Formats: sequence, structure tokens, C-alpha cells
Amino acid sequence: MTVLLDPAQHGPGRHHRSLRAAAVRVLLGNWTGNATVPSRSLYPHQWSWDSAFIAIGLRHLSPRRAQRELESLLSAQWADGRVPHIVFNPAVPCGAYFPSPDFWRSSTAGRPAGAPSTPETSGIVQPPVHALAAWLVHRADPAESGRRRFLARLHPGLDAWHRYLTAHRDLGGRGLAAIVHPWEPGLDNSPAWDTALRRVPPAPAGSFRRADLDHSAASDRPTDLDYARYVRLAADYRDAGYDDARARFAFAVEDPGFNALLIASEYALADIAEAIGADPAPARARAVRRTAALTDRLWDEERGIFTARDLHDDRLIPVRGVAGLLPLMVPGLPRRITDALLRTAAGDHFRLGEVHMVPSYDLTGPEFDPSRYWRGPSWFNTAWLIHRGLLACGAVAEADRLREGILRDAGATGFAEYVDPHNGAGRGIRDFSWTAGLALDLLCGHPERAR
Amino acid sequence: MLKIACQEQLLPGETLQTKWEHATAAGYDAIELRGKGGLSFRDRLPELRRALADGVVMPTVCVDMPHFIGAFDDDLRRDAVVQMKSQLSVIAEIGGAGAQTPASYGMFSRRLPPFEPPRSAGRDREVLLAALTELGEHARAEGVTLFLEPLNRYEDHMVNTLRQAADLIAAVGLDSVRIGIDSYHMNIEEADPPAAVLAAGPWIGHAQVSDSNRLQPGAGHLDWPAWLGALEAIGYQGHLAVECRLAGDPGEAVAAIPAFLRRAAG
Repeated sequence: MTVLLDPAQHGPGRHHRSLRAAAVRVLLGNWTGNATVPSRSLYPHQWSWDSAFIAIGLRHLSPRRAQRELESLLSAQWADGRVPHIVFNPAVPCGAYFPSPDFWRSSTAGRPAGAPSTPETSGIVQPPVHALAAWLVHRADPAESGRRRFLARLHPGLDAWHRYLTAHRDLGGRGLAAIVHPWEPGLDNSPAWDTALRRVPPAPAGSFRRADLDHSAASDRPTDLDYARYVRLAADYRDAGYDDARARFAFAVEDPGFNALLIASEYALADIAEAIGADPAPARARAVRRTAALTDRLWDEERGIFTARDLHDDRLIPVRGVAGLLPLMVPGLPRRITDALLRTAAGDHFRLGEVHMVPSYDLTGPEFDPSRYWRGPSWFNTAWLIHRGLLACGAVAEADRLREGILRDAGATGFAEYVDPHNGAGRGIRDFSWTAGLALDLLCGHPERAR
Repeated sequence: MLKIACQEQLLPGETLQTKWEHATAAGYDAIELRGKGGLSFRDRLPELRRALADGVVMPTVCVDMPHFIGAFDDDLRRDAVVQMKSQLSVIAEIGGAGAQTPASYGMFSRRLPPFEPPRSAGRDREVLLAALTELGEHARAEGVTLFLEPLNRYEDHMVNTLRQAADLIAAVGLDSVRIGIDSYHMNIEEADPPAAVLAAGPWIGHAQVSDSNRLQPGAGHLDWPAWLGALEAIGYQGHLAVECRLAGDPGEAVAAIPAFLRRAAG
């Protein structure tokens, strides 16, 4: 602590010390014994990619808890390899969150696909950032990791997770993982999904009741019509037994953010394999193949950014979203592409360095809304990933500025879920776990030399 | 910045000055004194003044007697209050922060036969509130603090958790009475020790450390980074006073503790 928070090293030392204490308070307060809830109010269960980002912060506070965070998530993994996007806490009342366990019915409807009999989970997934998190957690305290055989115990599950995405989710047949629900890429109501989502018949009004509006302003959350379509997609998948071969997906998209994170995690999985004496070659080979497919399928030369591909008509979706910048952290992209990405990030659409963090959607886009969830607000996890990507591309000054911006916004908003990119005002809930975790990670020094 | 104290009996040497040399060489910032009964702590004043003049830092004293402020026996209880008053005065005289005592130690456990104590819980509370109020007022007058230490269920039947201590202190209503937490006892009594630290944050005035097995920090299985992170989160400014038994070579064990704790604190 004394070295890392040396004012000479990190500028405003006292501010950082109090920010660190505040972040620690959030992480300790949201810990439930085996894992961390994203928020005590709005999100009372365990979320898949939240846990990965939370573990990346927790590793600086308690390597043991960081390991438990990932272990408890993986303990709910399905036999087909999928890591569900929610693991429900049986102690929380069913109505506390919607869609609830009796909507997903994983232990019955998901049984043929290998859902565990307990705990109850959702049936969709979130971005596969877990192997990256596991590797970073290990690196924070290799002795404690070794003592608990953390990597050796986690490796089979992580490997099965990546194999699931490779074998069951390559719906386009071209080497990329497809998402089948707007919640899967984590950017739930991004304008990138609008066109594809419009084809989905909404679930009848009155057939479900949202719980999110009990805790958050309606203007900060997805609309009711969007929500009815989300419900329809999830119900259809459930009714097909969560069987990727049998289900008829009304929504199927190849997302650059999801695939970029999978590539980064494949490299981390290879490192993990090497550390435990397993063969790193399969994960590395998948990473290389997927990187080529990412460039072939999702690079939008005209816009200078990666965009999502709608598998309905096999066309790129002409929407600039923050997910299209995440490939900055993918090793081995052609320099002309990373240079173009850096130009796009700094240009009118994202204005890196001029606005708060990185907006989730094109600042000049017709759908831009500075308050509504993933339709404009800046989020801390995507900013953290882009910070990592900037370092990987050698854009050190930009990375350092973004890091300072993330820390400033985290502190000023009380660890908000997301912020208005123009004025930095906090939106959504406060004391959000991954905001605290990733701020703590950035406070504890620069990340390992990014690949 | 973590400040670490070592209880005096753990350090080699005959005098506080010699102990201080060993302590500072190992990275300690202070020595925690032990206060025996019979007003013998008061009788050490000349020795303590010399040590103070020689630069020894002695912020706290931990009681070291066979009876305590919650004793069943009226005379013993009266004596414990007299002793604690004296210890508070002495620690004030040498510029320290306060004196620590449990409600009792080794007198009764509800987990061991005969299970039912001879005094009611209501009466326990009355005698503790009376003693804590009297001592708190004395501490306030002296400009120091009385630290009430919750012990685990096998060592005391009255105050086992931080919450119980905070409830009593709230009823006393004096800033000069705070909780003196101990990581070993918390490991037994608290479901989530770091969360308990956060919840009791405003009430915590002092902290003692030993591992899950009462041995030196690092010799057991406590999640030290999380526990120390909680103290950091509440803005704890006091010392971590090492009070433990030692495994392995005693000199090496004691010398290794500061580095271990500082590394665990991140």
C-alpha cells in the first residue's frame, strides 16, 4: 500500500487512499460468503461477467475471496460447458429479481442441456472474461493460488466453457461465437440490437412483471417494449430446452466485444494450461483462428470500427458501439486496424479523452441517450477493458488519462453503475461492485504488461 | 500506513529499551504494555518514564489480571475497576491512547458445564454498564480511552461479538469507551469478520492481532488481507497490537510479523 500509493508515483495520493478505502468498503459490503452481489438492491444474485470483473478487483483485497468468487460461479456451470449469466441465491425471495428462477426453470427445462439440479440459474450466457480474470487472480498471489490448487481446479471448467462457445455457438459457421439474446453480450439495450430485436414479437403485456424499476429510475433503464422482447427471446430458448441445435433463434448476432473477450480469455487459458502442465496449444490455436474470423467477419472498414453481424441477413449492423473498440485488447491484429480503432476512439463518435470515460454508443448517433443504460452512458468495465487495450497498443498517454478519468468518475459518483458521458453524472445504482473492483484494480498499479 | 505494536512479553530483553531495539529492528512502531494487578502497573511509572524519555513508543496497555470488571464477586469487581482506573491514569501520564480489558476472562462459559451462569443476563448488563460508565468517565477526564474487548464464547459469557460490545458502549454513551477488537476471537464469533469490522466501524478504538489458532499472524488460516482491508476501509488509525502465542523459534516468529502484516495489507 505504501509503495503503490506513494504520491510521487500516482499524483493525488490522499485522494487515492480514500478512494481505495471506499472501494474496499463496497467490495466487503457486497460479499455474501461465497461470492459478491453486483448490488445489494438491484442485483441480489451472482452475475457471470460481474463476478469476473469483481474478482479482478478482489484479488487486491483478498486473493482467497477472488478465487472463491470464480469458483462459486463455475460450480453452477452446466454439463454442456455453458456458464449461466445468473446464479440465483436460494435465500433471496423469488420475486426480488425478474426474470426469476421460476421463469428460467433451469433445473427442469435445462436438464437435458446439463443444467445442475441446484442451484437455479438462467439459461443464457455473458461474455467469457473468466479465464482472463482467473489468470489475473492467480498472478496476484501465486502462493495462495498454488496452495489452494486454484488454477488446476478451475482449468477444466474454463476449458469446457470455451469449448461450448466454439462448438455450440458458432451459429454462423465461420468461427465466431454468436449471441442469442441482447443480454448475452452484456450491453443489454444497445442500439446495435434495435433492428434485429424489432423482428422479435414481444411477450404479451401483463405476462411478466419487471423488478428492476423498483430500484432504478425508468428513464435510466430499458423501455417496456424492449423488455417484452427480451422476455420472449428467453422464453423461446427455454421452451427449446436451451438446446442450441434445436432452438430457432429469432435473434442471432456475432458481437465483436463478446468475441474479443473470448480471444483474450483463450490466451489466458493457454497461460493457465502452461502453469499447470497442460497443453496450451488448443486454446492458442482457437485464439488465432478466432482473431482471423473477427477481422474477416466484423471489421467495418468504412466506419473504422468493429461492428456486429446480424446472422438473419448476414450483414454488418451499421452501428458504432463501445463493443467495437474492445478488440484493441486482442493480440495480433494488423497495425492498420488498431491504428484505425485508435483514430475512431479519439474522433467525434467516442471523443476519448474529452468526455467521461468511453460512451457505450456513438455520441453522434440518432439513438444516443446520455442516461439510458447501454444507449450512451459510459460504463466502468468497458473503460477498464479499453484502458487495457490502449496499453496493449502502446497508447500509454491515452491509457493513463483514461485511468485517471475512471478513478475520478468512480469516486465522484460513489461507484455508480454508469455515468453520463457529457457531465459525468452518476446513473443507475451506487456502490456497484465491479465499479469498485475495477477502480481498486487501477489504484493498485498498472496491469501486467498487456499482451 | 499500518502501525504495528508488539506486546512487551513477546520481545527479548530485560528492559523496555532493549525490547524497543528488537522491536524497531523488526519493523514494529510501538510496544503494547501489560498491566498486572495490585497497582503494580502504577509502580512501574519510573521505569515507563525512563523508557518514554529514551524514545520508546507505548500507546496502550492490556490488562493482565486474574479478575475483571464483570466479576461475579463484588469485591473482585470493585478491585478490577480500581485497577483499570489506575492503568488509564498511568497510560495517560505517559502520553498513551488507552487501556484494554474484556468483561471477564476464564470466569464462565455458556458452552461449558454447568452452562447456566450464577448471575442473570440482565444483572450482567447492569454491572457492566456501571463499570464501563465509571471507567469511561475516568478515561475522559484523563484524555484516554477504555477499550472493551469481546472474547470468544469459551473465555467469556457476556461480550462475545463486536455488536454486543457496540450495544453496551452505545448505552454508556461516552466517546471514551470503544471496542478493542481481536482477530482471533472474531474468527470464532463473527460470521464475516471483515463485514463485522465495517458494521462496528465507528465504535472500534483498538485492534489486537493473532491468527485463527492464537499463534502469530501467518501461522493460521485467517484471511488477513480482507480483515486488514476492512480496518483500512473504516479509516482505522490506531495500532495493530500483536498478542499471541508463538510457533517455531520465538525470536524469528516475532520478527517476521510486521513484514507479514504489511504484505497482507497490500
